[in-house]
Amino acid sequence: MIPIRDDNPQIGIPYATYGLIGANVIAWVFLQGAGFGNELEISICQYGLIPSNIVGTQASSHCDGIAGLGYLNVLSSMFMHGGWMHIAGNLLFLWVFGDNVEDAMGSVRFLVFYLLCGFCAAAAQIISEPASGIPMVGASGAIGGVMGGYLVLYPRVKVHILFFIFIFFTTFRVPAFAMLGYWIALQVFEGMISYGSQGGGVAFWAHVGGFLSGALAALLFKDNELLFDHPYHGWSDPVKPASVWDNPDNRQE
Amino acid sequence: MQIRAMTENDIDDVVNVIDTHDDDDAEDARHDFEKFGVSDQWVVEVEGSVVGTSGFRRVPETDGTGWISWTYVDAERCGHGIGRGLFKHVLDQISNDGGNKIFIKVSNYQDEDGEKTYLAATKMYESFGFARVLVSKDFYDSGEDQYIYSKDLRPVDIEDELKAEEKPAIRFVDIFEIGETDGAYSFTWQVINKPLFQQRSFSADDLTVGLKAVKESGGRIVFLTFPCNLPLIHSPLSDAGFKFVGQLTDYYERGVHEMHFVHRLDGI
Repeated sequence: MIPIRDDNPQIGIPYATYGLIGANVIAWVFLQGAGFGNELEISICQYGLIPSNIVGTQASSHCDGIAGLGYLNVLSSMFMHGGWMHIAGNLLFLWVFGDNVEDAMGSVRFLVFYLLCGFCAAAAQIISEPASGIPMVGASGAIGGVMGGYLVLYPRVKVHILFFIFIFFTTFRVPAFAMLGYWIALQVFEGMISYGSQGGGVAFWAHVGGFLSGALAALLFKDNELLFDHPYHGWSDPVKPASVWDNPDNRQE
Repeated sequence: MQIRAMTENDIDDVVNVIDTHDDDDAEDARHDFEKFGVSDQWVVEVEGSVVGTSGFRRVPETDGTGWISWTYVDAERCGHGIGRGLFKHVLDQISNDGGNKIFIKVSNYQDEDGEKTYLAATKMYESFGFARVLVSKDFYDSGEDQYIYSKDLRPVDIEDELKAEEKPAIRFVDIFEIGETDGAYSFTWQVINKPLFQQRSFSADDLTVGLKAVKESGGRIVFLTFPCNLPLIHSPLSDAGFKFVGQLTDYYERGVHEMHFVHRLDGI
């Protein structure tokens, strides 16, 4: 289930969203060698988040001997990826949902919101697997926060989904609450069945932590004036503000 | 009859022409010419004497909007087509200069004999295709309303574009008495960078502060205008007790109108 666009109009220029996409691409190319050679593996160890290092248990891993950045790995890991599909998928989701969440907050607030969701996602993953020596990379925790915020802000707007049936594909539109609700439910389910498993994979609990923190943080970070009169904010259609003057009592006698 | 551009040297003669109708208007015109200059203003001469004037004032930050300014013919020369000729010249100049929308303000003032001073001028404007679009009651004084007429110089078959709404941070700066009125006030406002922990929009309380200041200054009525694409203004305006007067269509550009509001200081 791949979202390709939404029916939510972009109000302003999403500078922060564009900047975050650019930062991820720059990191992928210049720090991770675009996935080629040894740079990818070294960068994952150097810039990825290893829960046991943060907690202090220092579990052994294939990253032994590669110095990290300490606590700054929480931040750097948000801009690292494990492969082309990983970064492409993440940035597609950010492209589809990020602009509208930024419209609701303004660029500066959105940037803080994004990083906060990333930190919460990292915390969730660390809490779920504190002894893990496997490095975690990816923007999906922070982007999960963007999706959580999108669900809270624009639940009824339609999202266009690319759906594959064997070798065929089609698109259809579903309301955001259905698509994002299904997504987070899937993350929780996958997280539960993968709990305790050894080896790498998807950091489902980071997704869950990011999503939930985004859903809550959006309520704090949203700017009600920016959302005023937005055609898709909330569950009901907005009333045109100028309609107050249709009332004869509000007009010059 | 000769029509030419007005110069600084014509100010006294033009003021004398206006004085044949209204001495208050004459003084206001002098101040206006001295402050803003005489560009886009023309005079008509008959036998070497200035007998009439008309012109327009461009509205900055609009798409070709202008106001007709100081249109008078010597009282003894009225009714001979001088005003029509001069006015047509001004309209042609506006059109050639890329003007899109022209507005005129007129009063419904009646003299002591009950005669409407500006009735003939109003009829002339209507004959040129101007239509009355807004009436602000008690604008100049109690019982003296302002009529605004407009004429669209653009083709009417162009489709309106949907204009984006804007949500700037607006703050009121000061109150001022509107020129040529007795006790009608307005507020100056400006767009600022949104303060970090404050709202964008002004509040009903902000408006009430201004209304109280007007009342303390002896004002009797407040008029405000805003572009129509500011969705945050309507709630505080209605909460503060302002009433909607009307709007000047396409004032800023096609699709962005100027909305007019009034408050009679009731309950202040």
